[in-house]
Amino acid sequence: MRHHPKNETLAEFAAGTLDEGRSLVVATHLSLCAECRGAVAAFEAVGGEMLNSIEPVAMSDGARDRALALLDREPSPVAPAKPAPRPVWQADQETLLGYDLGPWRWVSPGLHYRAVKTPEAGSTRVFMLKAVPGLKIPEHSHTGTELTCVLKGAFIHDGGRYAAGDCDDADQDDAHNPMIDEVEVCICLVAMQGNIELTGFFGRMIQPFIRI
Amino acid sequence: MQALAHGYEWNRAALAAGLPAKAGRLHERSRQTEAAKSPAELARLIEAVAARQDRDAFVALFDHFAPRIKAFLMRTNLPAAGAEELAQEALLIVWRKAAQFDRARAGASSWIFTIARNLRIDNARRDMRGKVLDREANEDAEQPTPPEAELLAAEREQRVRAALKNLSDEQLRVVRLSFFEGKAHGDIAAELDLPLGTVKSRIRLAMNRLRDLLGDLT
Repeated sequence: MRHHPKNETLAEFAAGTLDEGRSLVVATHLSLCAECRGAVAAFEAVGGEMLNSIEPVAMSDGARDRALALLDREPSPVAPAKPAPRPVWQADQETLLGYDLGPWRWVSPGLHYRAVKTPEAGSTRVFMLKAVPGLKIPEHSHTGTELTCVLKGAFIHDGGRYAAGDCDDADQDDAHNPMIDEVEVCICLVAMQGNIELTGFFGRMIQPFIRI
Repeated sequence: MQALAHGYEWNRAALAAGLPAKAGRLHERSRQTEAAKSPAELARLIEAVAARQDRDAFVALFDHFAPRIKAFLMRTNLPAAGAEELAQEALLIVWRKAAQFDRARAGASSWIFTIARNLRIDNARRDMRGKVLDREANEDAEQPTPPEAELLAAEREQRVRAALKNLSDEQLRVVRLSFFEGKAHGDIAAELDLPLGTVKSRIRLAMNRLRDLLGDLT
């Protein structure tokens, strides 16, 4: 793993302030990256310390007794049967666990996308892109931020080579001109805020299809 | 319900081994108001709930954490009544999931912070969710707490405190507002009367600093 989300992004994930779409991309990366899992745990520890040292606000009278009364209705907190760990990305079926996916749709020669339906509708759109080996993605930039996790295969752009599990945490300033690695089909999970701006003739031609 | 993406908990939870019963002392302690509790004590309380559904331990946890979770949620702009309701809910989740707490992996405060965080996310999105999943992806193996875990937990919390002290006052302020209270960068800029770019770069530097200091924490 060579490319990771920014620390601010991981911190927002740990704090719970990252939107659902970007959280999904980060969670996908985390399921493959122990280093970033450690970073998120560290930021959660920061949250724990801030929680511990906050000036408390007294609960209302009887709150504790009400909680105790509710315990009687709770099943015994015996150790729950624990399901086996499940990665977010199910490589064999090319699905994301727990999320509905739209059908693969043609965008341009060699390029398909499918929408990922996130429960929270917002300014962030989440989708998967699938590209054939060697494809050059039209040059583009963004009006917002774009967070990408490679699920399969690899792509290459100015920032280096991004292989499965790698995360590209791009600002709006970053221009992109990615190329798909020659070896195999590349599938990416993308959370995008704002709109993608395609440049060049080809880009303008396919622009209407990219507005998902 | 729990936050969807945050529910994929990459095997965080393992069973905490119960420690010898100290019910009498716990009971006594629970009577005290607002005595400072060490990380190890808080961890023991959660483990007592897990091991034997110890209500005295629950009361002590409630008295310590409920008013703090309420304060935390009020800082995130929840009205007092709603914050109190979620604080109650958070402690019930602590009761329910105590067996998943593992002091070797996270301190008591961090663990409870993640519970409060997930409740906050769910509360914000409650009506938007189409489905409920079982998102507890946990290890099936029971792992005993290693003997050095207590020491490590104490050392870890000490290091977090030290790291926060290592930030400048300005950095700590933006971290608190942005990271902990969840305020938008624009709102922080307005509140502190700073350019947006300054707020963003200050947050970036502070988070990088914390990562440098704490990256090997777990």
